[in-house]
Parts: sequence; structure tokens; C-alpha cells
Amino acid sequence: MKFKTRIFNFRLLILISLAFLMAGGTASATLTAKANHDHITIDFFYHGSSVSVRGVSDPGTDLIVKITSPEGHQTLRQKGKVAGLLWMNVGKLTFEHVPSLYFLHSTRNLTDILSNDELSKYVLGYSALEAHTEVSPVSGDAEKNKWFDEFVKMKESSKVYSTSSGKITTTTKDGLQEYYVLMDWPYQAAPGEYTVTVYAVKDNRVVEQAESKVSVEQVGIVKAFARMAKESASTYGIISILAALGAGFGVGLVFRKGGGAH
Amino acid sequence: MHLYLPVALTSINVLIPVGLGLAVGLLSGLFGVGGGFLMTPLLIMFGIPATVAAATDSNQIVAASTSGTYAHWRVGNVDFKMGLYLLAGGFIGGLVGVQGIKVLNAMGNADFVIKMTYVLMLGIVGTYMFIESLASMKKNKAAETKPAKESGFSKLLKSLPMQTHFEKSGVTHSALLPIIFGGFVGILAAVMGVGGGFLMVPVMVYILRMPMHVVVGTSLFQILFNCIEVTFLQAYTNHSVDFILAVLLLIGSTFGAQVGAVFGRKLKGDQLKIILAVIVLVVTVKIVFELTLSPSLLLSQGGGH
Repeated sequence: MKFKTRIFNFRLLILISLAFLMAGGTASATLTAKANHDHITIDFFYHGSSVSVRGVSDPGTDLIVKITSPEGHQTLRQKGKVAGLLWMNVGKLTFEHVPSLYFLHSTRNLTDILSNDELSKYVLGYSALEAHTEVSPVSGDAEKNKWFDEFVKMKESSKVYSTSSGKITTTTKDGLQEYYVLMDWPYQAAPGEYTVTVYAVKDNRVVEQAESKVSVEQVGIVKAFARMAKESASTYGIISILAALGAGFGVGLVFRKGGGAH
Repeated sequence: MHLYLPVALTSINVLIPVGLGLAVGLLSGLFGVGGGFLMTPLLIMFGIPATVAAATDSNQIVAASTSGTYAHWRVGNVDFKMGLYLLAGGFIGGLVGVQGIKVLNAMGNADFVIKMTYVLMLGIVGTYMFIESLASMKKNKAAETKPAKESGFSKLLKSLPMQTHFEKSGVTHSALLPIIFGGFVGILAAVMGVGGGFLMVPVMVYILRMPMHVVVGTSLFQILFNCIEVTFLQAYTNHSVDFILAVLLLIGSTFGAQVGAVFGRKLKGDQLKIILAVIVLVVTVKIVFELTLSPSLLLSQGGGH
């Protein structure tokens, strides 16, 4: 019994030492990520912002910076031709497991630095996102592909989806690689919490990941109005109507006093 | 200068809504239409979500039509009695129309029916008004107007019960007439998701035989009440009224409505009718183009038509 316990303790010791060694291993590869502008406030004069992500990585690694919102489902109206001539809404399409914002910047072309398996494992790039997304109702893969492309086109037009390669700059300093990427933050991006994930890539594999957050929040008047519109809908409606009536009468009176009467 | 819109969740250059408000308010004061058929698509074009665009426009029309009604009332061009009958009809029609949309949605081809009704209505109304006002302008030039011959239709109208005199408009009709036609416009407006001013004006001119200047004031009066109702319902059920956007729009539109009302008094009824007819026809052509040209995006957020 005693002997067995000893062996067990010994094994445990080896395991713990191994764990320490491995931890030491990760510590030497020092991928870090920091978003400079991690708390964006939407006030009355907000017209978008910019976000930069910087950090250090092992030299010789490629980097991928991904910013996404939590995944959700989106139902969109689908346009099609009716009677072979007229374009109009013909139905609705639902996209499951899609983020409302998806930014992806990499040092080089994704397909040049990662295998397809790795791309789909970490949902990197539009192809991987498409495979990850469920679109319904569609008749098959070709149709899914067509509508997913349309989905990306729509998202890109409102600036909430974007990809690039080569936009990340890297410099080597003290044996480490420093990286930096600056991107526009669109005003179309809704308030919420966004995740910044940085992937260090070597030999077609993701070797390290680091995470950071960007939170977007309404403040002041904007927050007060947005909250009131949702939480006190009837008061909000009545105030909107009274303000409009008041403005209409007010301007009418101004015109009369101004000698506009005929 | 850009301002952020808390309900539309987007940022807009303030000059855009103020300018749009001014232009549409001008049309409102001139012709007695709400101008939703112009404003809503323009707002969508500038990045406002469709549901917010429609709801906020109705809030803005409350201000523009208050301003316009007030300007027309001061010179005695609002027939309140007629306006109230039309409103009663419009209210009932609106309820029927909302049920109609439910039936269309259940049948699965709602969008097609709505779009077609809209284009046909705009086209027919615009063409008819254009031809009629052109003819009457020529007639006025050529000679004095001769007393209009009584048609079978007007004899039928005269034989209806509940005949009453509308003093401001100087016409005598059965009270049923404005209620029925108000209801008819109400149904179509609810189905098409528009205020229906462009239908109500021709109904008052051609069926109720009201003088054009009283038509404009009375139309604005009843639009005011319709839009109060719509604004409240949209704010209450859909949370889609953007107060900041509405304020920016109404800065322009209340002012525009006053200018329109003043300017309208300088024009003859037929001139007003023909300009309105041209605007309605231009909008028709624009919608036909939109329907036939390939859209750049095949997907869109829900709401609106």
C-alpha cells in the first residue's frame, strides 16, 4: 500500500514538474494583445471611432487579428425576380451563428499561412465563417454560397464586416516581434461587447492565442433616449407627439408675428 | 456636423434631415400631402433602418401638418366638418386595412400585391390629375367656365341619404360620402404603409368637389390626426420612433410647411393640381425603375416595403 502511494506521489511530482515546464514553455512565447481604445462611448456627437490592436509575439510568426461580436441569428428580407421582370422581396432568410461584426486582419493571405482545417477550427475568413453558418431555407450548397456572399456584401456595405491582409505592421525589437494594426470603428456597430482575438501562426498552425475586449456603450442623452424608447414606450410616444405639436404651433406663431399673415 | 441617432443606431449629417424636412414640408404646405412617399425612401437611402424611417417620418408629419393646418386655418381654408367625417372613415378603413395585410401575408404574396397596388394607384392618380388639370387650365384660358353638366354619378351622389352642407367647402353631400371614401383611402393607406395624402387630395377634389385651397388645409388637418395615431402605435409597439431624427426633420418641415402655405395662395388651384400630378408621376417612374433594375444588394433588414 505504502509502496503504491509512493509511486503515485512520485508520478504526481513528475506530472507537476512537467506542467511547470510546459507553463514555462508558454511563458517564453509571449503573445500579447491590447486594444488601445477598448471602451468606446457613443455620445450625441459620435461618428465612429478607431481601434488599434498592438502587442508582441515570437519572431517569425504570422499574425491574425480578429474582432467579432457574439454570434446570433439574423433574419433578412430576400429580394428576387417576380414574373421574370420585377425585383421585390420574395421571402426571408435566416442566418444562424453569425456575428453582427466581423473584422479580420492578417499579416499575409490566410490560405498562405494556415491549413483549411485550422481556418475552420478557429472560424478565420469568410469561407470558414460560411461553413460555420447555417442559412435557411436554401436548396443546397450552391444556393447557400450565393446567399452567404450576398450577406457579406450587405455587411461590408454597412462597414461591419471587413477583411484585409498586409495591414498589420511588424517590427523586431529586443528579439521580439512587435505588431500593430489600426482600423476604423464604424458608427454602424451596435453597442455591445466585442472580442479581439490575436492568433500567432507558424508552420500552417495556430501556435498561440491572446484575447482582449472592446466594449461599445451609449452614454448621456443617447443612452437616455434609447432606454426611454424601449422601457417607457408610451411616455416616449406621447412626448414625441407633444414635441411635434408644439414645434408645429410654435413655428406657426413665429410666422404670424413675423408678418407672414395675408 | 454629425449627430448620433439613439433609436436608428446610426450617425447622420444634420444638414441631410433638415434639408429633407424643408423640401418635404414645402410640398406638404403646398399640396396637403404628408410626403411620406418621398421622405421614407430618402431616409432609407441615407442609412436609416426602414422601420425607423417610416415611424419617425410620421412623427415629423405631426409637426409639419400642425404648422401647415395652422397656416391654412388662419386664412379660413380648413373644413373641419369635412375633415372629421373623412377621419371617421379613415379610422375604420385603417382597421380593415391592417386585417387585409394579415390576409395577404397569410397568402404569401403580400409584397407583390402591395407594390403593384402602390404603383397602380400612384400612376392612375397622377395621370388623371395631370390630364384633368391641363384640360381645365386650357378651358379657363379659352372661355368662362360653363356650368358643369350633371353626370349620372353626381345624380347618384345627390340621391344618397343624410345630405348635409359643408360651409367652408361650399358643397352639399351625403355624410356617408366622406366616410365611405375616407374609409377607402384608409384601407389602401394601411395596406401600402403610407399616409395616403396623395389619394385623399384627389378624392376631395374630384369626388367631393371641394375647392383646391380648402382641400389642402383640410387634408393636412386629417393627416395630423392620422399621424398622431401612427406615431403613438409605432412608438408603443415597435419602439421605432427616433426622437432626435424627428426633431431634425421637423426643424425643416415646420418651416417649409409655412412657406408652402404662403406660396400656395399665390398659385391657382389648377396649377397646384398639375404640379402635384407631376410629382406623383415622377415618384411612380422612380418606383418602376427600382422594380425593374437589378438591386445592388439582394438582402435587407426587415421592415418597410
